[in-house]
Amino acid sequence: MEENITIKKNDMWKYLFLTVIIVAIVGLFIFVNAGEGINNPITGEVVNTGDIEAQKITLGMKNYNYYPNTITVKSGQPVELTLDESVRGCLRGFTIKDLGVSKYSKTPEDSIDFTPTEKGTFAFSCSMGMGYGTIIVE
Amino acid sequence: MSFKEFLKELNGNRVEGELVKTIFYSLITSFLFLGILYYFKFKYIENFIPKYGIYLFFSALSYALIIPTIRQVRAYKEMACMSGMMVGMTSGMVAGFLPGFYIASTNGMFIGGFFGAFVGIILGIYNGKCCGIMGVMEGIVAGFMGGLMGAMTAFMLLNDNLKIATILVFLISAIILISLNYMIYNEMKENKRQLNEDHFFTMVITLILTALTTYIIVFGPRSALFQ
Repeated sequence: MEENITIKKNDMWKYLFLTVIIVAIVGLFIFVNAGEGINNPITGEVVNTGDIEAQKITLGMKNYNYYPNTITVKSGQPVELTLDESVRGCLRGFTIKDLGVSKYSKTPEDSIDFTPTEKGTFAFSCSMGMGYGTIIVE
Repeated sequence: MSFKEFLKELNGNRVEGELVKTIFYSLITSFLFLGILYYFKFKYIENFIPKYGIYLFFSALSYALIIPTIRQVRAYKEMACMSGMMVGMTSGMVAGFLPGFYIASTNGMFIGGFFGAFVGIILGIYNGKCCGIMGVMEGIVAGFMGGLMGAMTAFMLLNDNLKIATILVFLISAIILISLNYMIYNEMKENKRQLNEDHFFTMVITLILTALTTYIIVFGPRSALFQ
């Protein structure tokens, strides 16, 4: 396998040029066919029953994020939020920092209860900030 | 200026003159391998390119940049302790971080972290042994750390511009690896080359690394978050 190799002058430019061309062609193919991938903004229907006693919301998981990740609730009315069985890993730790909500929901029956009193748009996320979304309090 | 000399040597008769050629051979090997697999198997997998394409593409590019360093170290065989430790550490860290990052993006933290650590440790030891036990130790420690760190970074970025981060991580690693090539040249420019070889080794090691990475990304175990 060992042999004496003599590199001719200007060989590098030939190989560099070919390397760039190959990378450009394969890269173009990958990026053209890549679609929108896993970082799509996820929107979905708000699961809000409008119940007078409690606004029941169930979140699932899709593309490594909460689904839906935009929810609307009414101010001054209790919210009963549950995470269904599709929600896994750190996404089971649910926090709304601005509303002081933070709970690890072990099972789909383990609800996260709170009453939003302030109107506005707030961010919610998992305990590590990897899954995230928006809660609109009207 | 020795960096100018280094650039000149990229076109010269020393081992540095073969670095670009090594990148070329490595890329040809992995792209051919992936192309054949795509044509016969992967194109029938739903959403194959959106799901795995970018990570396989950057894996091939990353290995094509890691392997020239192995060739350069093999050519000189022995180095001073300080240089060898830097070689072991940088090779181990980057060779662990990049596969860890790509695999954690598709399979999860566990498999990404430990596959990255495995590749990082193996290549860290292989490159670090040019200066003896200290380089080997550096390779092990850096490979282990790099694998877990790469996987953790990717996992934490799942909902936060992971694909852009992939490109940036690759570019930064490329700069580190080219700097390592320059450092080795700078340290060894007064020394004679010990080993002349063709590109068979480059192609074999590329094939092994690409095949392992591809198998794990496409068919490997996944953590619950990815099922």
